[in-house]
Amino acid sequence: MKKSHLIGIAIIAIAIGLLLSLSGDVSTYSNFEEAKASGERVKLVGQLMKDKPMNYNPAIDPNKFHFHIKDSKGVPGKVTLLTEKPQEFERSESIVLTGAMKGDVFVATEMLMKCPSKYKDEEIIIRSKTKQI
Amino acid sequence: MEDIQYIGEHLLPGQIGRLAILLSFVTSILATVAYFLATQKRDTPEFSGWRRIARTAFIIHGLSTFMVIATIFYVMIQQYFEYYYAYSHVSEDLPFKYIASAFWEGQEGSFLLWMFWHIILGFVLIRKAKEWESPVLATLSFIQIFISSMIQGVYIGFGEWVYKLGSNPLLLLRDTMDIPIFANADYLSLVTGTGLNPLLQNYWMTIHPPTLFLGFASTAIPFCYAVAGLWTGQHKAWLKPVLPWALFSGGMLGTGILMGGAWAYEALSFGGYWAWDPVENMSLVPWLFLLAGIHTNLIAKATGQSIKSSYLFYLLTFVFIVYSTFLTRSGVLGDTSVHAFTEMGLESQLLAFLLAFVFLSIGAYGWGSRDVPVPVKEEATSSKEFWMFIGSLVFLFSAALITVSSSLPVYNKIIELFDPLYVGSVIEDPVVHYNKYQLWIGIFIGLFSGASQFLRFRESNFSKHSHKFLIHLGGAIMVSAVITWLACTWIEARAWQYKLLLFSGIFTVITNLDYLISFTKANLKTAASSVSHIGFGLMIVGILASGLNKKFISNNQFAQQGLIKGFSEEQYKRNVVLIKGEPLFMNGYEVTYVKDTIWENYRQFEVNYKQKDKKGKIIEEFDLYPNVLYERKENKIAAVNPSTQHYWNRDIFTHIATLPLSETDKEYAKSLEDSLNYVTHYMNVGDTLRQKDYIIILEEMKEGATHKDYDSQPNDLSYGARFTVYPKKINARFEVEPVMALRKTLLYTFSEAIPKLGMKIKFPNEALDELFVPESELGYESFKLKRGQTVDYHNYKIQFNNFNVEAEHSAYEREEGDVAVSAEMTIFDQQGTVVGKAAPLYLIRGKQPFNFKDELFDLGLHFRFVKIDPQTEEVEVLIGRKDDKKRRVPIAIANDVPRSDWIVLEAILFPGINFFWMGTIMMMLGLFMGMVARRR
Repeated sequence: MKKSHLIGIAIIAIAIGLLLSLSGDVSTYSNFEEAKASGERVKLVGQLMKDKPMNYNPAIDPNKFHFHIKDSKGVPGKVTLLTEKPQEFERSESIVLTGAMKGDVFVATEMLMKCPSKYKDEEIIIRSKTKQI
Repeated sequence: MEDIQYIGEHLLPGQIGRLAILLSFVTSILATVAYFLATQKRDTPEFSGWRRIARTAFIIHGLSTFMVIATIFYVMIQQYFEYYYAYSHVSEDLPFKYIASAFWEGQEGSFLLWMFWHIILGFVLIRKAKEWESPVLATLSFIQIFISSMIQGVYIGFGEWVYKLGSNPLLLLRDTMDIPIFANADYLSLVTGTGLNPLLQNYWMTIHPPTLFLGFASTAIPFCYAVAGLWTGQHKAWLKPVLPWALFSGGMLGTGILMGGAWAYEALSFGGYWAWDPVENMSLVPWLFLLAGIHTNLIAKATGQSIKSSYLFYLLTFVFIVYSTFLTRSGVLGDTSVHAFTEMGLESQLLAFLLAFVFLSIGAYGWGSRDVPVPVKEEATSSKEFWMFIGSLVFLFSAALITVSSSLPVYNKIIELFDPLYVGSVIEDPVVHYNKYQLWIGIFIGLFSGASQFLRFRESNFSKHSHKFLIHLGGAIMVSAVITWLACTWIEARAWQYKLLLFSGIFTVITNLDYLISFTKANLKTAASSVSHIGFGLMIVGILASGLNKKFISNNQFAQQGLIKGFSEEQYKRNVVLIKGEPLFMNGYEVTYVKDTIWENYRQFEVNYKQKDKKGKIIEEFDLYPNVLYERKENKIAAVNPSTQHYWNRDIFTHIATLPLSETDKEYAKSLEDSLNYVTHYMNVGDTLRQKDYIIILEEMKEGATHKDYDSQPNDLSYGARFTVYPKKINARFEVEPVMALRKTLLYTFSEAIPKLGMKIKFPNEALDELFVPESELGYESFKLKRGQTVDYHNYKIQFNNFNVEAEHSAYEREEGDVAVSAEMTIFDQQGTVVGKAAPLYLIRGKQPFNFKDELFDLGLHFRFVKIDPQTEEVEVLIGRKDDKKRRVPIAIANDVPRSDWIVLEAILFPGINFFWMGTIMMMLGLFMGMVARRR
């Protein structure tokens, strides 16, 4: 057997070992109950509750944004996001938050939003100006 | 439904374009078949006949594809919104320079861009590839069949089962949507395009996609050569012609990926150049395979080893290009990526594309690689090829790890097919996850690429050179260790792994520099390799410097203390509030939001940075101009664009994280205005009004006033009230001038604000009656006066003093040939004190007489100068007033107004980021140099 083949096999073995350890970096999308039970950093998926109050007051703290979501099981809960309030937040369809529970509040450091593509709406933009004849 | 004869549609371009689309598809099939047969019959007389057919088919395929592209550009430039593609990607206000961006914004356009490059590369191959033309172009045409099927948009039905093949870019709007507007024959006069996403309206969108797609397309050439080599069994002959193509592709794809990073860093608010996003990762993976392939290709050419690996790596490169296309465009990535296209129903077609090339690769390799010659003699561990091969394995290793992790959404999707209740898993912290493994890749590549440069191909007598080898290696290790130690005083590489990575980066720079100087002797081939590897080392230094020492300048612990509870939150604090004109001290910089200016849809902010030494002397000062782009019409933000100060050794990146809600939402701003508690006060010129925090004095009433938001027009009537404001608590003085203007029957009020005092001031609506008294209610009386003469008017004595031929009047603009003169008058009260001066204006323009009135607001007197007798020098003046009352101005003042003159700023310091850019550019340069050197 060639040495390069041996090294190749060794590298593949290491790769398999590392990939098995990948499972440590992976988790499923969590919900409020699980996040609370584990107390660790998790990814929470949910939908914005548009009828509940949203609070972002940069004059007091530009890095805190409070809102409410329903998690994947439909359980409502409070969220504090430690960044600015993103543009188009109200339009979001689903939200993925990374963070941990602190008491009753899910404190998130990152957020990914899924928004309907706003430029591809199935509605026609009607000319606002009258056409010159 | 009866057919409607639509008005104003241009149907011809669509018909031509759709025909060209079909022709492009059919000729790609024909070219594939003919090139296939030409290859199969390459040793028979039929060969040249088949090749002629194949060439013709491929050229027609190319021309018809160009025709499709030209047609789409035509309908877009002409703004024929009856076409869906024009409707959804351009708009009337889209600047012409973004037409190309709009073209490849859509999936169909980007497929066409990809095909375009394949065709260009195919044309080059027809001219240059000689005996390789037939097998290489057979595979290239086969690829074209799949891509051009994506834009067919035809329905294929077998009984009940109907399948839509592709999405046609030249469909009519009314064929893609079913809405009532199309009942109107003249619907086109009502429709306008939706335009290009404002986020994409920048030059990056113009240059990045063509570069990246050229990179994508160029990976097909090594793939086609690999298939050709396996197919024709010329396992050694293909190694030479493929190499320049592979080097070109490596340089091009690398440049494309880098441009994406530069775009993210320069123009988007991502705050970095690489985020380990699945889409980014899957563009990197083919590049890694390609690099591995280039290395084994070099080995194979020099020694005859690693031919099979070269085949495999080039096959994998293109398969992973297709896989990356599948991930990006099928919607599989869902919410795990910020880049993915929206779904278009092409999933199954993309999957077929992928599977076809997976099976083609497996088939070609399985069938063709049986008779690949393998040298009997094994490579020595002291030979260059041995370590280069290990290096390629490291690339493979890196690519495999990235692929496995990035494909997580795919596994989720597959498991969901069998178990709908399955909850998909995700990588918790992608950046940490990927860095953890790729760190070691970097270390190995650095060490191998450094050390192996001093080894030789086919080493048979290492002991003869070992002395020289050890001297160079030992010297490099010592020099690198010293530099690493020095660099650690600048880069805070806390963990030993980071220090090791830093060392390996510096090591490869030093060894390759050494190699370049001592061994290269102006040989472009070897110099190319050194330049690339030096680039790699510098890139590692740049990644470590900018990544580890990246610092949020924008967290002011003093200003924001007390608002923050708990330690762990601290590190996530990235933003500060900056109030206009009030400097804030943060991390060594005094930062001031100076002003903002608006042009078109942009609002640009000037942010000043100052760094001072201990004595307070400014040692560094610069201004940054981050801006926000508002959506048309609505007062909403569509995009924020950062601004960065570049130094050779660091960057200071700044962007607007948020604006006050009242600045981004018109409705909110209106409701906020409505909620203010305006109190109306009646004031006269010279009056002083005391408020809780300040006193305010009405200095002057001005006719024909100006205001920053007010564009005056010739027949407007307008008044401004100039106030000075003295705050009680702070030593300052402010001037404000609210304005009220009347344009025909429209009334405009322009308010003014002093954010610092939380006050807003404007004319209330009732000011209308006080300010704009109709002429008919003034009861003008006519007086004939000579110079010096005085008349009685109610309680006043009015004297006509003199003419003024250089008269000025706020409503009058002098023109050539005007005869304008004003009558200067003084007004006295009964005691003989002067209470006012007036100067109504009389004008003859083009033999027509005009007059401009003058008004003494506080006295309520109006003057008009209507006639002049040249002989007697007697003037006729009209004087009028509404009633006896002294006039007072109603003024509305609101206090405790929420401030809206602030921005939320994010500022990040990236030290040493230029090492990253310089290093990556050198890597690409090295690849291109290699291509030039090996072209023959």
